[in-house]
Amino acid sequence: MNGVHDMGGMHGFGPVPIEADEPAFHASWEGRVLAMQLRTRGKWYHLDEFRNAIERIPAARYLDAGYYERWLIAIETLMVDKGVVSPGELATGHVMTPAAAPPQRPPDDRPPLRPRFDPGDRVVARNLHPESHTRMPRYVRGRRGVVRSVSGPYLLPDTNVHGGSRDWEPVYAVEFSALELWGQNANTVICVDLWESYLEADV
Amino acid sequence: MSDRHTHDHDHDHDHDHGHHPEPPSDAEARALALESLLREKGLISGEEIDRIVSAYEHDIGPMIGARVVARAWTDPEYRRRLLADAAPAVAELALGGPSATNLTVIANTPEVHNLVVCTLCSCYPWAVLGLPPSWYKSPAYRSRAVREPRAVLHEFGLELPDSVRVNVWDSSSDLRYMVLPERPVGTEGWSEDELAALVTRDCMIGVARPQTPAAARS
Amino acid sequence: MIDRAVADSLPRKNGELVFEAPWEGRAFGMAVVMHDRGAYRWGDFRDRLVEHISDASVPYYESWLGALESLLLGHGLIEQGELKTRFQDFKQLRRDPVF
Repeated sequence: MNGVHDMGGMHGFGPVPIEADEPAFHASWEGRVLAMQLRTRGKWYHLDEFRNAIERIPAARYLDAGYYERWLIAIETLMVDKGVVSPGELATGHVMTPAAAPPQRPPDDRPPLRPRFDPGDRVVARNLHPESHTRMPRYVRGRRGVVRSVSGPYLLPDTNVHGGSRDWEPVYAVEFSALELWGQNANTVICVDLWESYLEADV
Repeated sequence: MSDRHTHDHDHDHDHDHGHHPEPPSDAEARALALESLLREKGLISGEEIDRIVSAYEHDIGPMIGARVVARAWTDPEYRRRLLADAAPAVAELALGGPSATNLTVIANTPEVHNLVVCTLCSCYPWAVLGLPPSWYKSPAYRSRAVREPRAVLHEFGLELPDSVRVNVWDSSSDLRYMVLPERPVGTEGWSEDELAALVTRDCMIGVARPQTPAAARS
Repeated sequence: MIDRAVADSLPRKNGELVFEAPWEGRAFGMAVVMHDRGAYRWGDFRDRLVEHISDASVPYYESWLGALESLLLGHGLIEQGELKTRFQDFKQLRRDPVF
């Protein structure tokens, strides 16, 4: 991917607005906005909703607003969206109705382990070639192995991108022989950890 | 903020070292930029970073794993618990450092020699071994450990007969692996301290075996 | 270059330096602390790292830094413009690297 790190020699940023002894926050309200965000994010909304709320700010307003003002707008928008505060309360600064409790969002909603395969089962690693994230190493695709052990469940990385769907799956240590992987018979086996959806039964 | 100086670049700066520092490298400037921004935004404090750096430079390292191995060698019940569920067993020894969640310990036997790698990046059991050595993160190790492990072990000076099975573990998920090497012959009656001293990081990755008492003495 | 007396006193594990230069430690520390503070899951960091280290010519901790930058930018915790500006500040010695 193109590197954001490749910054040297770039043009077009205009004069650098250097501020002598720049403070962390230019006004105390900025610090309070940050503190608010840290306490509301994860509780009333998640990161992607927050980012989306910033993106929803009308262009003219977005450009005029400074960094922390955009955060404040986003938090206000989300709190109204989620029914925590009403627009009237925001305008007057007074509570009219108490807010409902935040939705129950346990930090780790891991379900019980319900594996499809057992140790000793023969499996085949599916021949997947996804565009995005996957943790199946190329060298096992289409290869046959035997389940050594089961763990988890763990979040499937392929779908769990940017807080997308949370698919919990068992992870299997699957043993492949060197003969199967490389065509060499060297009394060598390679165990690879594979999520359940990477595997099919070997029939 | 200091005053700006105009520089005459032909000027010899030797006499003025402290006043005209070298610009940081690109990587250093990137790290400085990131840290200064994160600190200003109140997202991180310098002290938190200091603590982590210090912990991994001084406290978290293979000496933790070595203690685990030495205990497993002397206490069969501990060994059984360690192999069944590593994290609580490691925690029992209260050696400090982060929790060893997702750790699996795999035992070498006379018939099987284990070797750990992460072909996709550099995953490594930090909790018991600290940070990985550069060679572990190298493309050469990552590609060859699964393909020709015996040749890799040969390069590390470890020769295994064909009758010994080599079992490579590719850390492709959240699970982490540490090798429990075989206890060297001739160490009967040794204390845990003495035994731990024989256990190197490389034995717990699988590219080496613990020294024998004779070798340790020399 | 680091002189011998300093080099001998640097933390080593099995005879190797844990971090070859202080910035590597800072990059490592930042990634761990931001994870511990809940900014991202370790798997997300790992996925970025995998992307960055696919370029074998890039030294390891530079890949680490690249992964961290892209993750924090992607989550909106920092912005591209300010990162670039701040980078130039340090490269041009407009900012004191000691803070």
